[in-house]
Amino acid sequence: MDQKNIAVDVDHVVKRYGSVTALHGVTLDIREGEFFTLLGPSGCGKTTLLRCIAGFEDVSEGMIRLHGDDITPLPAHKRPVNTVFQQYALFPHMTVLDNVAFGLARRGWSARDAEGRARQVLKLVQLTDFAKRKPGQLSGGQQQRVALARALAPEPQVLLLDEPLSALDLKLRQAVRVELKQIQRETGIAFVFVTHDQEEALTMSDRIAVMSNGHVQQIGTPREIYEAPVNRFVADFIGETNLLEVDVQTVLGGRATVALPGGTVIDVPAADGAATGPGHLSVRPERITPTDGPGSVTATVDSHVYLGTDIQLHAKLDDGTPLVVRMQSSGADIPAQGTRLALDVEAGAARLLAD
Amino acid sequence: MKTLLTTSALALTLATAAAAEGELKIYHWFEYIPQELLDKFAEEYDVTVTMDTFDSNEALLATLKAGKLGEYDVAVPGDYMVKIMADEGMLDTFTPDEMPNFDNIEDQWVDVEFDPGRKSTIPYQWGSTSFSVNTEAYDGPLDSLSLIFEPPEELKGKINVLDTSGETLTLASLYAGIPQCTSDREQLKALNALVQGAKPAWASFGSDVAKDVLVSGDAAAGMIWSGFSAKARAEGAPIEYVFPKEGMIVWMDNVALLKDAPNRDNALKFMNFLLEPENAAAVTNYAQYTAGVEGVAEFLEPEVANSPESNPPADAKGVFVQACPEEVQVLYDAIWTNLKK
Amino acid sequence: MAGAAPGGGASRSEVYRGSGPRLLLPAWIFIGVFLLLPVILMAVYSFLTKEFRGGVIWEFTFAAYDQFFLNRGLFGDEPPTIEWTYLGIFWRSIWQAGLATFFCLLIGFPTAWYVATRPVSTRSVWLFLITIPYWVNLLIRTVSMKFLLRDTGPLNEFLMWTGVIAEPLSLINTNFAVQVGLFYSYLPFMVLPIYAAVERYDFALSEAAADLYCDSWTTLRLVILPAVKPGIVAGCILVFVPSLGAFLAPDLLGGAKTFMIGSLIEEQFKGAAGNWPFGAAAAMILLTVVMGVLLIHARAQMREDG
Ligand SMILES: Nc1ncnc2c1ncn2[C@@H]1O[C@H](COP(=O)(O)OP(=O)(O)OP(=O)(O)O)[C@@H](O)[C@H]1O
Ligand SMILES: [Mg+2]
Repeated sequence: MDQKNIAVDVDHVVKRYGSVTALHGVTLDIREGEFFTLLGPSGCGKTTLLRCIAGFEDVSEGMIRLHGDDITPLPAHKRPVNTVFQQYALFPHMTVLDNVAFGLARRGWSARDAEGRARQVLKLVQLTDFAKRKPGQLSGGQQQRVALARALAPEPQVLLLDEPLSALDLKLRQAVRVELKQIQRETGIAFVFVTHDQEEALTMSDRIAVMSNGHVQQIGTPREIYEAPVNRFVADFIGETNLLEVDVQTVLGGRATVALPGGTVIDVPAADGAATGPGHLSVRPERITPTDGPGSVTATVDSHVYLGTDIQLHAKLDDGTPLVVRMQSSGADIPAQGTRLALDVEAGAARLLAD
Repeated sequence: MKTLLTTSALALTLATAAAAEGELKIYHWFEYIPQELLDKFAEEYDVTVTMDTFDSNEALLATLKAGKLGEYDVAVPGDYMVKIMADEGMLDTFTPDEMPNFDNIEDQWVDVEFDPGRKSTIPYQWGSTSFSVNTEAYDGPLDSLSLIFEPPEELKGKINVLDTSGETLTLASLYAGIPQCTSDREQLKALNALVQGAKPAWASFGSDVAKDVLVSGDAAAGMIWSGFSAKARAEGAPIEYVFPKEGMIVWMDNVALLKDAPNRDNALKFMNFLLEPENAAAVTNYAQYTAGVEGVAEFLEPEVANSPESNPPADAKGVFVQACPEEVQVLYDAIWTNLKK
Repeated sequence: MAGAAPGGGASRSEVYRGSGPRLLLPAWIFIGVFLLLPVILMAVYSFLTKEFRGGVIWEFTFAAYDQFFLNRGLFGDEPPTIEWTYLGIFWRSIWQAGLATFFCLLIGFPTAWYVATRPVSTRSVWLFLITIPYWVNLLIRTVSMKFLLRDTGPLNEFLMWTGVIAEPLSLINTNFAVQVGLFYSYLPFMVLPIYAAVERYDFALSEAAADLYCDSWTTLRLVILPAVKPGIVAGCILVFVPSLGAFLAPDLLGGAKTFMIGSLIEEQFKGAAGNWPFGAAAAMILLTVVMGVLLIHARAQMREDG
């Protein structure tokens, strides 16, 4: 990868709080103009990593570079990155306009220029009419946009966003996602976006880093993460999946032959590091389909959930392994409880994990 | 069982009745009467005694004026204040036959100018107001008020004066040879100039701290009441009380029967009690002034009886502070305010 | 703070408007009887004729205010000029109180900040430690400060023992001693409201400021101070007002050499002067000054809040 295109380079960063280690040697690159998401369950270290980049926390070990320059020793106020805080942290005693112009004034802009720029950014976030209000007089969504405008105004090299949408209700959240993505594209600033909402991550991001317990599990495009999870954690965390216990017979060149429960042997893509012997095969529910033929596995239907366009079946393999199958609802009959179904596993869409 | 209950109930009633037998409310100077004496009276006459204190004659007057008259039975005003209070109609009168010990009052204190014939008051203690000097800080002659009003180098900035205009301005008048309550312009201007000129040499104004500053050494010279000075000496202050050749203030505090006293009988009992030589002596032993009662000598502690403060030289001159008429008093007030502005 | 639910304010104030007056009735009665009535009484007294040696005659006059503002000479027969005596006493008291407020703020703010930023578990211990001396009567505290500062007191003896000074410093009976006394008397009145404000302060605001290129001092000036300003203002008022009327510290530590507003007024009621209307007038003028300052501040505050 071309060094020049890298906005933030996180290099083996370790962060300890006393005896708690929040980050265990995290390494990742964030490219210029990229929408990069840190995704993971609560407590996995997303916020900690973001705060290390912003400069609110000192790293215990490792290094953070911004466009190749080591910024690890710089205090927060000297780093050309800005943050949108989870609770917005707007200055309550200042008007919206003053909030947005705040960073500009600190960077030596004249009052007049700062106001001009602030108004421009307010227009971008569609808050022109609210310039003279105090933050307390705005709705949650409006406050969120002020926070965004305030962080965008000084044209930071990187914008850090810590779950900026979590305080909004679902409808608003979906609308703001689109807006946010659009603004990111227009400004061309690299966004580092923290969320524990996988749908948010999948729909908005250029690339995602999936974290757990202070480790980065996988970095990739949404599609790579979804379709080619490297291990059980990622497969399980992203979307819904079936983890079948299989016997791996051969692994070669990114592919493997595995014996499914029940004995059927199929040829599947394999993650790096997959080995022969007992292993786990990840198959998404929509990649398992009832068939009239013999099928690769047979299962007994336990229950179903009607989801509108889809029906989700909960079934059990003969050895008792639970299985989720998703089938289109149009036309098909819903199999009754106790029905034995022959199912096809779409070998090309299954994936042998590295565990 | 029942009998027991009734008996104890009866005992209780009796006890309360005993406690409520009588009350006495005294309005007194601070640190001026030994608690044991109050206890003795309370026990002897079966009276509940309560006491509040004040720190200047004027404060006493103000409090009574502000509506406390009718709450206290007796108060202890100084000489000129007796006259003021009598003029204000704040005092009740009694006859000598209401007070068996009336005859114990020393002859010279019966027909006093502020209460001729003692119709409302009895003597409490009398003494003088002058000043004391720390003999370790100053070893010159101790005979003149100039030590306060035109002090030598050693005493400058180490002098405490009493924080009451009456006493301080009267001593200043004595030093300047100006009569009290004068309305003569030149004399008042001279008085004003005298205290203004002396003020830079004064470290502090304070009455209740007058003893403390001498004991602690904060002040090397200080205006003080005679008994207070004796107490300061007893507490280790290396001081000598001065009888200035220009004169000093003599005063007498008196127990006064207040108008509308809620417990007039007990008040008279208390006044009679204080005329008992042994009890008058107890006050003197405590406060270290002089009682105006005959027969106290045998009850006095020797160091009190012989204290230099209470035994002025034969040629010592003393004057009572006079209560000035209103037109004159405002002039003295103006000088005082001017001094402290 | 910033995240407060919008509209919450509106509905809350409606509640107040609705049933407020009825619920507040006891408070209004209390304020009326115990605060307003004395003030009215004092205002009335200030326009009455003085009675010699205390008390009033029920005859209307401006004499007290005349005495306060106009100088007619010692004997009252010179053409009136402005009377500087009492204005001077007022000015000295205001200056003294202002200075005490300043020092209380200077020390009180960092103290409050320190306490408010301790872990919750130790905060109450710190607060307790700060308030311990104040369980003791003010008079006793002031006297003990006198013991501490006097020429033969522990402070001077310690300094002489260490050899920093050869002769005792004359601390007692100086303005310095008065300042120390006022400072010591009223420090908690500064610390506690600021503590309350800092405790409510959202420290994410400091991070936001740092994020937007503020160093610590700029953060303090532009973000923290405005956010805790209500606490600071409350603290300043709570220190300034009693300092203005204080007489214990000026008397015991300053040597009572000059009148302060408090002792001037006290003298009118308890001293030889016994001029009650003048005391009442001086108190009214003081009250007017203090109210004026507070009103101006309240106005400015209201304008600021829109
Ligand atoms: N100041 C701190 N002191 C001690 N431990 C901390 C501190 N801050 C975070 N941690 C710990 O570090 C770990 C990572 O915390 P972090 O806030 O980064 O999680 P997160 O991924 O942002 O979670 P969430 O989605 O809930 O916000 C957690 O175990 C947390 O308890
Ligand atoms: Mg977080």
